[in-house]
Amino acid sequence: MNQPVKIESSEKLNASRRRFLKLGLAGAGVAAVAAGGITAIKRMEGIPHDEFPLPVRDDFKRIDQRNQINIFANSKALNDKHPERNRSFNAQLKKENLEGYKEFHFYKTRREFMTGPYRDTPGYSQLERALAVAGFSSARQQLGGGSMEAPNSGVSSWKQDMLVKNRYQFKSPKEGALAIKSAARLFGALRCGITKRDERWDYDPIYDASIERELSWDKDFPFEPKTIIVIMAEMDYHTMAAAPSWMQDGTVGDAYAHAIKTAGQLTIFLRQLGYQAVASMNDLGINAPYAIAAGLGEGARNGQVITPKYGPRVRISKVYTDIELVEYDKPRTFGVASFCLNCKRCANSCPSKAITFDEQSWEPTYSSDPDYIWHASRGVLKFHNDAKKCAKFWIDNDGSCGNCIASCPYNKPDFWHHRLVDAQNVIAPGPMHAFMREMDIFFGYGKVDDPERVRKFWKMGTKI
Amino acid sequence: MMDLTWYILGVLTGAVAYSLYLTSKNITLNWLSWSGLITGSALILFSIAWAVGSVLEGVPRAASMGILLFGLSGVIILTLTARMIASRKEVD
Repeated sequence: MNQPVKIESSEKLNASRRRFLKLGLAGAGVAAVAAGGITAIKRMEGIPHDEFPLPVRDDFKRIDQRNQINIFANSKALNDKHPERNRSFNAQLKKENLEGYKEFHFYKTRREFMTGPYRDTPGYSQLERALAVAGFSSARQQLGGGSMEAPNSGVSSWKQDMLVKNRYQFKSPKEGALAIKSAARLFGALRCGITKRDERWDYDPIYDASIERELSWDKDFPFEPKTIIVIMAEMDYHTMAAAPSWMQDGTVGDAYAHAIKTAGQLTIFLRQLGYQAVASMNDLGINAPYAIAAGLGEGARNGQVITPKYGPRVRISKVYTDIELVEYDKPRTFGVASFCLNCKRCANSCPSKAITFDEQSWEPTYSSDPDYIWHASRGVLKFHNDAKKCAKFWIDNDGSCGNCIASCPYNKPDFWHHRLVDAQNVIAPGPMHAFMREMDIFFGYGKVDDPERVRKFWKMGTKI
Repeated sequence: MMDLTWYILGVLTGAVAYSLYLTSKNITLNWLSWSGLITGSALILFSIAWAVGSVLEGVPRAASMGILLFGLSGVIILTLTARMIASRKEVD
């Protein structure tokens, strides 16, 4: 009599178990997706570090600004003093391409930069030259007509004009940092980070190529800097996409103008609060490590800082100040180094083959000849590139390049779907990065040497 | 323009969800059918958002590749799911 009832309850129990299992599986799936999403969001914000995220050896020596490639190229005195540098580079050029070899001289050829004849090729006409020169004009005017590397000039003057005696006291370091960043936002900063001064990243000595003079931190600089405020300005995606044509110089120069304008205004803001401050473009110290230390991005294969959302499509300026009571930002890593290991798109796109295909190293891997690697920073575990080859291409191109920025998969316009790809990249393992690089090409991003981008730029005025 | 796209996609998502609800009232769907219908619809909606975003950012090739990769996958998944549901209905 009881048998059928038993079977029915057993079936009901099994069905209930199946339902429970299905619900459990669905729940586990939702939890896994949620956990992945949270991890991705956290990693996209960056993993904070207490110390500088790149390993630095104890024997690391500060960079002498006379060894900075643009300073050397702009200085007759330094070229006269170091003929072995030109000799060594020419020997290498001859070795690499004997048939196409043409003598190169850093100083002499630099005099002719951006003065060559217009060409028939798209991106190299009078129109693009005009855009490039106009793009740089504002930054040059702000910097007193000097180069981006010139110290103590224009808005980056060391004179403490408009400094007030009364020092404004912030209630807390956090309030101080927030006030500085809020002012930076108003003055046009795309990003702003604050870090403690780290002498390792400051040039020593500083060198002014326009007057051929060394400058000392102790004797010449007006105060002892305690804090560095790092500012980022955006370069236009569509203009940069025309790399390496002259057109991209338009946005490079324009972003320099924005970066130095913000730094200059922030300098006056600090002086009006009673703190000494000096604005700096590419002088005084190396921008990349300061931007990394201020948590704005991560060092990449192309030697630049990759910042979330904009990639390497930014220009960096700084403010050196003696304010101390501010909250410092922590350096953050976003998985860029791991991506760069597998990507190498910038190295493939580099017309002068200046960008390394090798892994991170303590020393340059392209040469160990001291007469050849005189400009290199040794003792930092990073990607070492041959800046001389890059500088030579600028001369050959009669304008700068930008291929390593335009081709980088992190260089994207600020659209929602790229954030989705970023999220995928931060949680995916290494081999997946190589796949993402291929997908980036497949989807049509990062193409360089594309005359269509030049034509497209000149039609963009319809949208204004 | 992207704001308008999000609005239209919101309406479309609502319409898809309502259609699924109506379908489930008329036909008993197993977990595989549910997964197929949801994944296929989501991929098609995603491809529309991707394509509009890509066109607006000025990279039309990314738009066409997005439609090809995500949209076509969505259509294939929906078609296979619909055929599976139809064949199960015939058996019943």
